[in-house]
Amino acid sequence: MREEASVNGRERVIAAIQRTSQDRIPIDCWADKEVTDRLVRHYGVADKEALLTQLGVDLRYVMGPSYRGLQMRVHDDGLVEDHWGVLRKPMTVEGTDRVGRAWSWTYQHVHTSPLQSATTVAEIESYPHWPSADLWDYSNVRQECLDAAKSGAAVVNGGDRLDRTAQLKPAMYLRGTEQFLSDLLLEPAIAECILEHTADYYLSYNERVFQAAQGAIDIFFMGDDMGTQTGLWVSPKMYRRFFKERFRKFNELAHRHGIKTMYHTCGNVTKLVPDFIDCGLDILQSLQPAAMDLEYLKREYGAHLAFQGGVDIQDVMPNGTPESVRAHVRDRARMLGAGGGYIFCTAHNLLPDVPTENAVALFEAYKEFGA
Amino acid sequence: MSDLFRELGQHLYDGDAPGVIELTRKAIEQGLDAREILNAGLLPGMERVGRDFKDGELFIPEVIVAARAMHAGIELLKPLLARGAGPASRKIALGTVKGDLHDIGKKLVGIMMQGAGFEVIDLGHDVPPERFVEVVSTLKPDLIGMSALLSTTMPMMKNTIEAIRAAGLSGKVKILVGGAPITQAWADEIGADGFAPDAVGAVECARRLL
Repeated sequence: MREEASVNGRERVIAAIQRTSQDRIPIDCWADKEVTDRLVRHYGVADKEALLTQLGVDLRYVMGPSYRGLQMRVHDDGLVEDHWGVLRKPMTVEGTDRVGRAWSWTYQHVHTSPLQSATTVAEIESYPHWPSADLWDYSNVRQECLDAAKSGAAVVNGGDRLDRTAQLKPAMYLRGTEQFLSDLLLEPAIAECILEHTADYYLSYNERVFQAAQGAIDIFFMGDDMGTQTGLWVSPKMYRRFFKERFRKFNELAHRHGIKTMYHTCGNVTKLVPDFIDCGLDILQSLQPAAMDLEYLKREYGAHLAFQGGVDIQDVMPNGTPESVRAHVRDRARMLGAGGGYIFCTAHNLLPDVPTENAVALFEAYKEFGA
Repeated sequence: MSDLFRELGQHLYDGDAPGVIELTRKAIEQGLDAREILNAGLLPGMERVGRDFKDGELFIPEVIVAARAMHAGIELLKPLLARGAGPASRKIALGTVKGDLHDIGKKLVGIMMQGAGFEVIDLGHDVPPERFVEVVSTLKPDLIGMSALLSTTMPMMKNTIEAIRAAGLSGKVKILVGGAPITQAWADEIGADGFAPDAVGAVECARRLL
């Protein structure tokens, strides 16, 4: 739409990360499939790729290698076993949005954590379902990245939610949320063992992905949730003891391959931002505005870290009006866009409870204020 | 005696369940009143956990292990408390609304409520409006606490309140709501009696309402 011939999305994103001047704030698009389909219809385009082109979106996400391990087991009661051996339950939520349109949304929630009742490190060590990098076929990776790069956008690799590099999340899935959090204090050897297996897997898996891509990945995307609405899940001290050095390894691996890093975490992680910077992180994603003081983050850390996100999906997008969405976008652009270092996006996926008119208002306001 | 209670509270604060069990047994053996062991030993320890959690001194793991230690102590006291003729404690039924399986925030509320002396009925997650209605009419809690993490599931709070109203039970129970996307404005809009942004705030809110 406003694509200038001289600058493509990739260059725009890299410039933002380096905080050098750019023609406009780069834009990303995080939307659930249902919202994407509605936007495709609204803009009268053929498919998602056409939509992203139409909206001038500067990043493309690739799925990475295809899974070739044992077929995911579907149990009689509808539970699905993922490649970690965790049982998941499809949950469907139905509702009506602010303008009275009915919607439905399905997500996969953890049902059973297989390591919940283990009491020794030996049991954790001998768990038969620790995934291996050999479960995946990497032969398609480079081509997928090259196809995504045809749009001129920055290529982001992060897999889908289940194979996205993380620490706390898989540990909670495997061990159960409460039990793993308790382990961090009472059974640190068990916690360490789970985290070490998880990190080993992700390091070898990502090494293979990066090698297969041969330079075609621009951004390595990780996702974990270290924050709650009001603060951290664990103390900064505990973060440094259990999680920080593994996070550093993930960043270093990507950097060795010339790839920038982006990390998603929900919630208020303000106190961990200096640690993220110390580990070499390039882009912090989410910036949940109802949880964090974005002005403070930009002022304190904007010289060392780029940001992606910041648009509120907890209230403004589902409950606001096109006018309040527009004002919200204007504020993000002014506050976070100043001096570069910002990729415009919602703090998380636009979900089906967001009225189409608000989603459209988001992208229209970006056109107005993103330059 | 007060030294024993202080020590008991400290073990609880430290999440040291074996220590809590040992000292609770000791207090029982000394012939101390179960309700006093609870109110002067265990609960003040948990209250301190709640305060320090709210102030950002403690985090979720510390709260969880303290709660486990508290439960270990309460288990020993339960048979004695059931026999005693003390005042009935206030009752709250907690649940994450239908369609939402997120549990940890609601559990933290349960922990803090128990620490404040409430009897907690945890209905779990994915709790449909009918179940809340059934619980209000049969178990007669003083309060209902509803949790939702997602903007997509928070409208279910409204449905639940409407179901409670339709069953003619709205005067019988106070309704508290909370969870990441929940605000006071939302609580007002759907006719909830109270809202709190965090688990300790939920206790303060519950006390205000009763």
